[in-house]
Amino acid sequence: MSDAAALGRPKPVIGKGVLIGLACAAAIGLAMLLGGRVITQQIISGLMLGSIYMTVAVAFTLTIGVLNFLNFTIPTLFMLTGMVAWGLLARGYLAGFGGAAWFVALMAGIAVAILASLVVERFTFRYLKTRHGDATEHAIPLVSSLGFLLIFEHLVLIALGSEAQRFPVPFKADIYFGGLVIGLPQLASLALALGIVAGLTYVLKRTRMGRALRTIAESPDTASLLGVEVARIVPIVFILTGLLSGVAAALFTVNYGDVSPFMGDHIGTKAIAAMVLGGLGSVWGAVAGGLIVGLAETLSIHFLGGDSVQMVVWGMLLLVIILRPQGLFGASSIGKGKM
Amino acid sequence: MLLEVEGLDVRYGRTHAVRAVSLSVGQDEVVTVLGANGAGKTSLLRALQGMVPAAGGQIRFDGVDITRMSPPQRLQRHLALVPEGRQIIISLSVHENLLMGAYCRHDAGVSRDVDGIYDRFPNLAARRDMPASVLSGGEQQMLAISRALLAKPRLMMLDEPSLGLSPLLVERLFGLLGSLRDEGLAILLVEQNTQMALEVASRGLVMELGNVVLEGSADALRHNDRLAAAYLGHAAPAAGPVSPPATPPSSNGRA
Repeated sequence: MSDAAALGRPKPVIGKGVLIGLACAAAIGLAMLLGGRVITQQIISGLMLGSIYMTVAVAFTLTIGVLNFLNFTIPTLFMLTGMVAWGLLARGYLAGFGGAAWFVALMAGIAVAILASLVVERFTFRYLKTRHGDATEHAIPLVSSLGFLLIFEHLVLIALGSEAQRFPVPFKADIYFGGLVIGLPQLASLALALGIVAGLTYVLKRTRMGRALRTIAESPDTASLLGVEVARIVPIVFILTGLLSGVAAALFTVNYGDVSPFMGDHIGTKAIAAMVLGGLGSVWGAVAGGLIVGLAETLSIHFLGGDSVQMVVWGMLLLVIILRPQGLFGASSIGKGKM
Repeated sequence: MLLEVEGLDVRYGRTHAVRAVSLSVGQDEVVTVLGANGAGKTSLLRALQGMVPAAGGQIRFDGVDITRMSPPQRLQRHLALVPEGRQIIISLSVHENLLMGAYCRHDAGVSRDVDGIYDRFPNLAARRDMPASVLSGGEQQMLAISRALLAKPRLMMLDEPSLGLSPLLVERLFGLLGSLRDEGLAILLVEQNTQMALEVASRGLVMELGNVVLEGSADALRHNDRLAAAYLGHAAPAAGPVSPPATPPSSNGRA
């Protein structure tokens, strides 16, 4: 009885977040002790890159967890934010905003990503769901989201060209700390990404809307019986997806200063790897997975060279899948109701 | 009448699951729908709650035509369904399941009503913060009914609530339905446990292949030869359903 009680107690929300924070701090501390400055710098860069993967991975895990839908438009939403922001600046539409133009451009890019995500909801998810019911719920929205990925990508190619572009970041603010260089935008992106994820976790675990989303994740039918207007809640998931993808893209753009019509493809595949690594449908799993993939990327570039990145990341993923199929933080049952 | 159904049809593709069914449930009344598997009872309840569209006919609740309303809109009008198989949300805690029961409400009385549920079902209170997956079958049924009660229904529809429960728990379940009836809740009860259902109900209907083939007062149905032969097992006692045990309810079982 007491065992059952202990097993059954809900885990504290903060637990996993603190665990991940401690793991990051431990990694930095260990690197300082054993590896010296160069390695520590790599670890810090890896965590910063990981925070972008993490934000996109959370977007993936949210649609998988709540809607059981692998949303392939997420890389495109990411790309749209960067390219729309660049396009607005390059065409001079935002000249009137002066020094804040880059910021306005990124905000507009995020807004476009959210709108595009709602278009995807309307024309893949909702339309197909109402027309064909549950029988087609996995394959058809997935395939049509792939279609949207290509359509959006080629719209951008036609409108803005296929070249990678320089996004003018107006400031260069680095903190020098014990001989380490920490980019201020990088630090801000890590904090912002973690803040968004913590907020999302709070919403899912503690609010009325979060309960409704978790009920939909387990059974849309029962949610409807309990008074949840499912068709009205589902767009919220797509708004969050657009927001997370857009914010990740804005952080990426500010940190690396590059945009291209293909920028989402690279990030998207790494984010999917991060999500699976962390455990499908687990928000904190996506956080841990994103940070691990970011670390693996910078460290393998440092030690093995740039060509090794894909081998290391996907090799690690296969290894985790073999040893622990549910991922690091996933529930042991693959199925619905994991939020 | 609280619920009035006229000529309701439900179709799944070419299957005609419910054929021109008419029925009514008054305030403070318990009506039971009996029949074998596949008779259309579940389809009837699902159509009444709006989970499947009505292919024809009209549903009026409290004088309002609700035939085209969504399930949440019907719940807002205080019509609730306890679905077949209980449909507890197992990834939510017991308490969160109860809060989901009150999802449709925006008044300040929710926490008081949830406390009332805990007073009524101490087993649920003891498992308040555990995932609902740890509950026994009987506890899950109590949770499913409590969840529906928190929506403040005027009419509660239940789809085979006794399915899979031990005879002792079935006895308790019908005791609960009896006291809810006495508190003034109207109930539309789909059951295969004909004997128990007719004890708690004042009227009943018998469905066969989507049609209502028999209806009348609970007393009349209890003494109806056709129903007795088909469902009560009077004609062939050996093949009859399990009758409730004579042992009085004890307090050491989970309910």
